Amino acid sequence: MYLVADINVEICAAKNCKLCTQYCPEANTILYSDELGKDKGFKYGSAYVAVDRCKGCAQCVWVCDNMAKNHAIKMVMIDQLPQAALTENITYGEKSTTAVLTSPVVG
Amino acid sequence: MSLDYVKFSNGFEKFMPKEYRDMVEHGPFGKKVTVSQMGSFKEVLEEHPMCAGCAMTLFIRLAMIAFPNPEDTITVGTAGCGRLAISQAAIPFVYGNYGDQNGVASGLSRGLRLRFGDKPKDVVVMAGDGGTADIGLQQVLHSWFRKERFTTIMLDNEVYGNTGGQESGMTNRGAVLKMAPLGKKFEKMNMVELAKVAGCAYVATVVPNNPRRVESVIKKAVLVAREIGPSYIQAYTSCNIEYAIPTDKVMEDAKAVENDRYQFQEYITDEAKQYLTERYGYKEFLAKSAAPAASIPGKG
Ligand SMILES: Cc1ncc(C[n+]2csc(CCOP(=O)(O)OP(=O)(O)O)c2C)c(N)n1
Ligand code: SF4
Ligand code: SF4
Ligand code: SF4
Repeated sequence: MYLVADINVEICAAKNCKLCTQYCPEANTILYSDELGKDKGFKYGSAYVAVDRCKGCAQCVWVCDNMAKNHAIKMVMIDQLPQAALTENITYGEKSTTAVLTSPVVG
Repeated sequence: MSLDYVKFSNGFEKFMPKEYRDMVEHGPFGKKVTVSQMGSFKEVLEEHPMCAGCAMTLFIRLAMIAFPNPEDTITVGTAGCGRLAISQAAIPFVYGNYGDQNGVASGLSRGLRLRFGDKPKDVVVMAGDGGTADIGLQQVLHSWFRKERFTTIMLDNEVYGNTGGQESGMTNRGAVLKMAPLGKKFEKMNMVELAKVAGCAYVATVVPNNPRRVESVIKKAVLVAREIGPSYIQAYTSCNIEYAIPTDKVMEDAKAVENDRYQFQEYITDEAKQYLTERYGYKEFLAKSAAPAASIPGKG
């Protein structure tokens, strides 16, 4: 098994600074959804990770901890994530994306 | 080479992979996208085999967002790590033999001008420090002396990364690498000064820990190369493998190197300033350039 980045929606949505994706080396990997966190009363959405593209470098953890000072991202073993975003379940919109979360590990 | 080349032929849309459909419908073609919108549009760069956490990968990702007209851009590269990602984007990529890239780009940029006239077609070379400053130096310098109008970007990881750690002309003096076990005996080459002497109209150094600056210098370099003359960007893009930088410390390293030997530098001729100001509405050169530009008319 291997580590991928996992963003805590409630912690991110409280700030949602959009810094981490500007520093993730991988394209189309940390995305934003205006919808995430709405059910918990957050207005501006949250970042999330397309875990099939994440290479586990933890650069985003450093950015969120040290630049955003928000500590919303942790590295988690991929089979410990009950649900996660995968590229095939992501829909792009005009200014935001949406993702249907599913189990990231097959079988 | 135009927006049309990515579009679906009638009836074929449903057979295309999701990533491709996303790229056509929600990619950057024909729109202006910026670094601050990252994460909400589909980027043209696809998956590739560059190492986890590589700063060069991040720089390439930012560069592709910064291209002023990605649908009218061709990238040229060569042997080295960067081509592994640059070739995996929805931007045509030409692979020059190791060191040939600026010769290939010279012919390509001239050919495109003959074929397309005034319609801008941007040629951008991205190659490693070995490819640019060592093996390709002759062609790089001659493309500058000859005022070939395209952009050269050096992905400077201060080592031959792709072949396991030989020193390059851009390695720092004293650096010990796997295949330079006694430490490098010579100074890091000053390619920025060479670029100015050889006639580049725009020269800048950047580090990827400042994404907006990367975006800004690449835009300027590509626009200047459309009409005024050659442009050169030298980017520090660390190799976390050969320099054993833990991947979550890559940005700390970039900051330290920025403070040490990669402070932001920008050089631009008066002619290029005037062009960016008048043609593309840049305001940043107005106050500073007014006096000297007026005193040396026509000087570039
Ligand atoms: C003519 C030729 N000589 C040697 C090589 C082997 N080779 C492939 S990549 C490389 C070094 C690349 O170093 P650099 O240009 O600094 O790029 P990096 O991999 O560090 O990004 C070499 C020597 C080659 N492909 N072609
Ligand atoms: S850096 Fe942290 S707070 Fe900012 S968008 Fe990313 S996860 Fe959210
Ligand atoms: S761990 Fe690395 S690859 Fe994965 S999302 Fe974070 S920065 Fe991107
Ligand atoms: S070897 Fe170095 S420069 Fe090449 S992809 Fe890996 S980390 Fe990046």
